[in-house]
Amino acid sequence: MAADASVPTLSRRVPRPSVIGVLGFAFVGLLGIWLLVNLIKTPADFFDVFLIGITLGCMYALIALGYTLVYGILELINFAHGDVFMLGGMFAITYATGIFNLHPGQGPVTVLIVLGTMALAMLTCGALNATIEFIAYRPLRHAPRLAPLITAIGVSFIIEDVGLAWKGPNYVPAPDVFPHSTAFSIGSVDVQWNKLIVIGLTIPVLLGLTYLIQRTRQGKAMRATAQDKDASAIMGINVNRTISFTFLIAGALAGAAGTIFALWSTTIRFDEGFQLGLIAFTAAVLGGIGNLPGAVLGAILIGCIQAFNEGLNWHAPGSDWTESIVFSILILILVFRPEGLLGEQTPEGG
Amino acid sequence: MSTNGDYVLVAEQVRKEFGGLVAVNDVDFAVPRGKVISLIGPNGAGKTTFFNMLTGVYKPTSGTVTLLGEDVTGKPPHAITARGIGRTFQNIRLFQNMTALENVLVGMHARMHANLFNSVLRTPKVRREEKEVRERGRELLAFTGLSRKATEVARNLPYGDQRRLEVARALATEPQLLLLDEPTAGMNPQESAEFTAFVARLRDENKLTVLMIEHDMRVVMGVSDRVSVLDYGEKIAEGGPREVQQNERVIEAYLGKAAVEDMKKQGLS
Amino acid sequence: MTDVAIRVPTESVGFRNQARAWWRGLNPWLRVGIVMVLQLVLFGLLFTVDHALGFAVLVVSTIYWLRRLPDRIRQGATGGFILLMIILAIVANTPWTLVILLAVGAVMSFVPAARRDWVFPAVLLGLAVLYPFYADQMFTMPIFGVWPDVGTGVYMLVFIMMAVGLNIVVGYAGLLDLGYVAFYAMGAYTSAWLMSLQFSHTNFHFGAVGITASLPGIHMSMWLVLAFAGCVAALSGIIIGLPTLRLRGDYLAIVTLGFGEILPQIARNGDSLFGFNLTNGPNGITPLDPPGFGHAISNATGGFLPANYLQCCSRTVNIGFLHIHHQISSFDVFFWTAIVLLLITVFTSLRLQYSRIGRAWIAIREDETAAAAMGIPLMRTKTWAYASGAFFGGIAGAYYGVFRSATFPGDFYFNISVFILCMVILGGMGNVWGVVVGAAFLAYLNQEGLANTGAWLNANIHIAGWRPNFQVPLYASGIYGLIILVVMLFRPEGLIPSRRRAAELHEAETHDEPLYDHEIAGTEPL
Repeated sequence: MAADASVPTLSRRVPRPSVIGVLGFAFVGLLGIWLLVNLIKTPADFFDVFLIGITLGCMYALIALGYTLVYGILELINFAHGDVFMLGGMFAITYATGIFNLHPGQGPVTVLIVLGTMALAMLTCGALNATIEFIAYRPLRHAPRLAPLITAIGVSFIIEDVGLAWKGPNYVPAPDVFPHSTAFSIGSVDVQWNKLIVIGLTIPVLLGLTYLIQRTRQGKAMRATAQDKDASAIMGINVNRTISFTFLIAGALAGAAGTIFALWSTTIRFDEGFQLGLIAFTAAVLGGIGNLPGAVLGAILIGCIQAFNEGLNWHAPGSDWTESIVFSILILILVFRPEGLLGEQTPEGG
Repeated sequence: MSTNGDYVLVAEQVRKEFGGLVAVNDVDFAVPRGKVISLIGPNGAGKTTFFNMLTGVYKPTSGTVTLLGEDVTGKPPHAITARGIGRTFQNIRLFQNMTALENVLVGMHARMHANLFNSVLRTPKVRREEKEVRERGRELLAFTGLSRKATEVARNLPYGDQRRLEVARALATEPQLLLLDEPTAGMNPQESAEFTAFVARLRDENKLTVLMIEHDMRVVMGVSDRVSVLDYGEKIAEGGPREVQQNERVIEAYLGKAAVEDMKKQGLS
Repeated sequence: MTDVAIRVPTESVGFRNQARAWWRGLNPWLRVGIVMVLQLVLFGLLFTVDHALGFAVLVVSTIYWLRRLPDRIRQGATGGFILLMIILAIVANTPWTLVILLAVGAVMSFVPAARRDWVFPAVLLGLAVLYPFYADQMFTMPIFGVWPDVGTGVYMLVFIMMAVGLNIVVGYAGLLDLGYVAFYAMGAYTSAWLMSLQFSHTNFHFGAVGITASLPGIHMSMWLVLAFAGCVAALSGIIIGLPTLRLRGDYLAIVTLGFGEILPQIARNGDSLFGFNLTNGPNGITPLDPPGFGHAISNATGGFLPANYLQCCSRTVNIGFLHIHHQISSFDVFFWTAIVLLLITVFTSLRLQYSRIGRAWIAIREDETAAAAMGIPLMRTKTWAYASGAFFGGIAGAYYGVFRSATFPGDFYFNISVFILCMVILGGMGNVWGVVVGAAFLAYLNQEGLANTGAWLNANIHIAGWRPNFQVPLYASGIYGLIILVVMLFRPEGLIPSRRRAAELHEAETHDEPLYDHEIAGTEPL
């Protein structure tokens, strides 16, 4: 009797003989050992790099949430999202320097200016994202599923070159207003102000998003539409408007991420958005595409992985290999565990 | 239950669970060769789920499916088709933008031998095969009354013709066992009657074994050699059409306890 | 109160149909009038910008009307038009290549539809093969300027080959592959490894041409290398495909994108992979051995097949009255070889399309579950599509590497995958000839066309004293993105559609329009 007690599935999934499981565990084990060795050898550096990882993770989280929101509601991978993030950074720079004349040494006013810039950038990117949805994705709502995906790639390229045309092919400088001085120390590990500020700017945005999704009517509409469009429409939800709103929020998140990133790294270039966007997308998939806390968790993990790769001293592959590592993770997740860490299995395998 | 050539298909203790929900509950089922078997039951009884396990679309949570003496439990759909099951679908799943003939040609995929390399070279063997399958395809279309529609795109065919094309396509796989999932859904009484006669022909002239899911009792009674009834994933009755029609449990499943009481009162049991 | 959308949605699709209906409802003579006026206005406007452009509008308008004449007078009128062009060529210096092109076009327009399938490609092929002889005589195009030279022609042919290869994956089987550049890279590096000094610690010669026998490294005949590169690429396609082709469409796209990013990065960092120099890192591998047929075969064919491409050729073709004086160069030989390779690719693609496996690919594209139920092994069939596409990508990469005698990691990046995808989409997914045309056009644009357009714009546009200074090639990616967007929104079946694909893509328009303002659920498996 072929009593196969494995998970009931429609399509054939990769059979999981214990070989792969063992290999997986072995790999994770080796990884753990590598981290441990680095920790023991240079603990201060380790924690420093770890903090950088958290910081990066915060920024990736904001971008990843945008991807996951849109995917949850439309099952569309919005390739253009990373480039909207990049434009967000450029908007932020323009607003900060053009309107507010932001520069180092302005004292406490800096806080207000940064917040104001972020708000403006979020508004702009939200509007931009919603416009993109209206022009490029909505007409293809009934088209075969791959059509909007291909279109998204086209939009991504267009936006990238808009950035190129606007700010040129070189790095655009942003005001270096995040202090690099040490805020406090834990043992021999220094925690700088700029890292704290990034984390400090991200958390309210995440909280605000959580409130929006869980407590407001629009948030409920978003959740309902993501679950079942037909039922939502029958229940009186204006699906079109909800989708537009989702894109607006996702764009706003990208705008926030762009502002924070521009001020953190003090430069931004037109072609950085796509790569960083893909890394953030990997984070979203790692956490479970469509799952909001998963996106944050995945982002933190990916941020740390990137930081460890680039920052640790003992046998770290280095920044030359970051992309390959991240994309390998993406491929492995999609092949072996498409629902990610926190996601739910569906019959289609993700 | 024996698993040799007497029975085309034997399902033993087949079970399907979706998470906590038991859709098919340890069903035993056997299809004798050369007969028409109908599988009936109220909506949601698990009939299509059961079909899907027979054809490999779902993998049974437990139990075995034996086709022509060979264990095919959990094998992928294309392998089961190659071993001799052809099927139609509840919601028509033709290749909408292919012509009727092309649809049937796809059905013959498993019986053809052309591969990538000799297709590119168009060897005489391949050319001959293409000619033969096209002829056979036209024969099948003629058999199902679609010879004038061979070059018509499937999407443009009227509903009844689409159903017939699905059958033609399933027959193209040269099955030993033909699975029909609600083949007369949406047909008017005359079309249903024609279809009933058609199924009888398949059994009597073509010596095909047929397993149908059906809701139309006229079709079921009109051609079935045996009827099995599923309710809530369990087989609650099996036997000749008349027998099953008067079975208490079956009536209860369809019409409820009150109806059974009524019948008893009227002395109909 | 949220408004429940119980109304008929007006999507841009519906708008298009409405516009078309309005246009067709007008009086036919009114329509003629409107079109003529528009053409005249266009002519006038563009003539002031650039005379050549104005005349181009005239010629195109004339062709437009010639096609709409009743059959009886069409032949006569067309003949008259050609005669007029000949007179202009003699009297007013209209380039005779333009006249010949128009004459050929005119003749072809009278070919009955049934014969078109092979007449058109045959004529195009003839024109292409003869191109090196008359390339320098070609008339100047408005906006795009000079016609591409033979070297650019090789580049175009290589990319057309890749587009036809990708068409098998995307167009036939419907698998969105965003990492095609990986196969291009695999092919290029294979030819680099087997025809250079890269592996100098060993010494293996087999059929190489034009190098001394004592040279270290691996040196093999290009013909073997091309076949081998194709196989290597196909193999990598199979390896990549095995775990990933089971994934759903959008996930597959992302995974292929991932591979398309990883492989070039490995190429860039490949000068020290655990101490071994595999790809020579950012400096790339150069030079590569020259291709050729070797002296034996060359002598046997009386010099028709060159022994060494780089030392070719001495023959000159002179046709006085056509002003053709052309010495056959090595570029020409590369060009003709590329045409042969492309012909093989197109031939294979067409054979596959109308075969058992071609039908299986379409079935999978339409409805995977039904296809499986009809006995089509999904994974195997998809893998064949993927491997076939990869095969031609590999050959294209290998050949281009040999042509440039170099392979650099900088040649391979994600945008190329999208560029080739753009060719397939613009040309017409699933239709080989459409893809050839689309690919030729875009490859030309990328190599020369954009730069020429930029130059033309900067030279000819002055609005109230402002002259633009567009660096058009800089925005190539954005332009291709725009092309993708416009095509997907307005003509997703491409320029020269396959009838079947056009039907598929406009399926939604012919469905009953939904009552509710939402997406119709896709055909999920049961």
